[in-house]
Amino acid sequence: MSRKVAIVEVAQTSGVESGDNLLDQLFRVCKEVMDKAGVTRNEISTVVSAASDVFHGGVSCANAYYWDSAAAFLKNGTRQDGESLLAFQYAVMRILTGHHDLALVVGICKGSENPDNDVITYYFSDPFYQRQLGMNETFAAALQMRAYLETYGITEEQCAKVVVKNLGNALRNPYAHVRKKLDVDTVLNSKRIMDPLKEMECAPKSEGMVALLLASEEKATKLTKRPVWFKGFGSSMDTFYVGDRDLTKGQLRNAAKRAYDMAGIKNPRTEIDVAEITEPYSFHELMWYEGLGFCGEGEGGNLIDSGVTQFDGELPVNPSGGVLATNPYVSRGLYRLAEVALQIKGQAGERQVDRQVTTGLAHGCHGFAGQFHAVTIVGSE
Amino acid sequence: MARQVAIIGSGQTKHGRRYDVTYPDLVRQAVIAAYENTGIDAKDVDGVVSGTMPSMMEGIAFTHLYFADAMGCVGKPIMKTETCGTTGMSLAQTGYYWVASGMADVVLVVGSEKMYEGDSQATMSTVMEPFYLRPFLAGAPGIFSMQGQQWTARYNIPEDKTREAAAKISVDHHRDALLNPYAHIQVDLTMEEVKSAKIITYPVRFWDVCPNSDGACAVIFACEEKAVKMCSSPAWVKGLGFAGDEYWYGDSDKVAWQCAMEAARQAYQMAGITNPRKELDVAEVYNPFTFVELLHYECLGFCEPGQACDETLKGTFARGGELPCDPSGGVLCSNPIGATALIRVAEAAMQVSGTAGQHQIGGAKLALAHGLGGVSQFNGVMILSSEK
Repeated sequence: MSRKVAIVEVAQTSGVESGDNLLDQLFRVCKEVMDKAGVTRNEISTVVSAASDVFHGGVSCANAYYWDSAAAFLKNGTRQDGESLLAFQYAVMRILTGHHDLALVVGICKGSENPDNDVITYYFSDPFYQRQLGMNETFAAALQMRAYLETYGITEEQCAKVVVKNLGNALRNPYAHVRKKLDVDTVLNSKRIMDPLKEMECAPKSEGMVALLLASEEKATKLTKRPVWFKGFGSSMDTFYVGDRDLTKGQLRNAAKRAYDMAGIKNPRTEIDVAEITEPYSFHELMWYEGLGFCGEGEGGNLIDSGVTQFDGELPVNPSGGVLATNPYVSRGLYRLAEVALQIKGQAGERQVDRQVTTGLAHGCHGFAGQFHAVTIVGSE
Repeated sequence: MARQVAIIGSGQTKHGRRYDVTYPDLVRQAVIAAYENTGIDAKDVDGVVSGTMPSMMEGIAFTHLYFADAMGCVGKPIMKTETCGTTGMSLAQTGYYWVASGMADVVLVVGSEKMYEGDSQATMSTVMEPFYLRPFLAGAPGIFSMQGQQWTARYNIPEDKTREAAAKISVDHHRDALLNPYAHIQVDLTMEEVKSAKIITYPVRFWDVCPNSDGACAVIFACEEKAVKMCSSPAWVKGLGFAGDEYWYGDSDKVAWQCAMEAARQAYQMAGITNPRKELDVAEVYNPFTFVELLHYECLGFCEPGQACDETLKGTFARGGELPCDPSGGVLCSNPIGATALIRVAEAAMQVSGTAGQHQIGGAKLALAHGLGGVSQFNGVMILSSEK
């Protein structure tokens, strides 16, 4: 890559239900991120947004509706669907080509106006075979969790610890949707949704407008004292039918390897200082530890037991509270990245981790049992 | 900085009522056709770009998950690009940026739609927000009829002249489609048949309107080094542009249409084109309605404002004219929406590569592909050349 790209500033809304309409909420984060950097709309050359359409927002062709509010009027813009980290990647590409040097990346999800998550994820299923079964993400996650527990002897207590950690971390995050001090027993005793998944182990449905301002090296160093540099990106897609996969494996290793290779990371466990990952279900965090190479195969349970991924651990994971605390479906990947950027900038407020953060990881996933994964590495140098 | 990027080949399905295949199988047919056309296969591809129209069209959300196997992208990185009717153009531009940025060498770009699985006009009505626009703007014909009416009123173009020019476009393109093996609607019409066809939304009549189609298109983009190895006649991407207008239909001027002119301006500037009518050899204009094609001749700079009818009646934009437009028959004859603008790109690439078969425009070296979408809100342009 001949150019460097950095995140200049970030802005986000709270995950809590808001009476403001989608256009106002979006306008405000776009304005905030531009004001922080001291740039005007005219200086932005491209806008890459991420949102989903009619099942999420009630409006098809989502980008049509919010175009003006996303500062995109008469601009060269585009949209990524499903995973908002792809919008980040696309904006990076646009800057790398030299055709653009200041890009606005936005993630849009007004969860409070959406139907329940699984009403939407049900429509990921094919109409002929899976839909008759009532397949949705929670259904697939329950199958995956059972396979994971049985294959590696992971316990339900270890999974519940993820919820305790993340919702506890969320108490420090003013933008988090669900913030609770819990113990493992409370999680284990919450209602069984789909065995072995309990209600408190499933992410909520949240609001989420997030904006990131990206710039070429030349612009970034002028606009901020603390640019957050793009280091690496990787993604990978799995086969569609859940029954055709080994649910304990998956594509995260592949996606992570691509990102690590690009960023020159050999030992993620020691080289990464903070990670924000997408864990719509408690056990996902443990599985993704393994996929991201933070521990060996089947050792996700031991890693949470060891305390390494706690807020004050050696590799804090989801100090913001993660997706279990705030889950704006499509924009959640960009929320992860915005949080990592704040950690690197040293602007995470009460949730700033108590260690030097030079390299951070953001992860996104969606689809049944994590069909698609994306991993981004950013750093201070 | 940007690397040189070329299209090394493409594949299309036969567009039409495709009750013979499932939706993923339709996608698979286009992907296989692209691989057969280029002589490469999935192992040579670094990433896949996928996109369709909104999920209401076929009742499936996040179709990239559903198509993972059909696109041959298991274990590969993907991008999922969607921008409404412009999706196909935005897909092509994603393929370009991915390769030009150096983050991939070879990218497969796939667009598709299976419109007979659902109700396209009901789907498009939901592009309008529920409070103000939806109650009075339903589906596509109303929007484009209004735009056409605005245009004729602005320049005081006599109604019978507009009707005559629009009818000529319909007759010409339906004849063009007879030479395109992938085209959906292939009929030989007379001017009288077009002018007396039933009214859909005044002044738009039946033969002024594109069909619903099932269909898919796959296009392969490659960096310079790979393109020259993999392909004897690559189509080089010389320019691209995209712009979006206000969402609220009444807020923008749809005649001197800023987003169309801006998209073209960006693309011409990058490609170094100063006189598009003279320099371009062929154009694939996104023409879901005959009137829309007329309007775009002006917005894309092919003629002066208000002159599109006169130029059309002179034959300037017909096969054999100064700047032939839509020799494939265009959107008017095949419209699987998520693939439609990508088909414009594939057709433009075929023209400059000299591989368009019976509908080849002889000696075409520089071509324009165009896409349009939203509540008449988005325009995208790509310029392709036989020369690097």
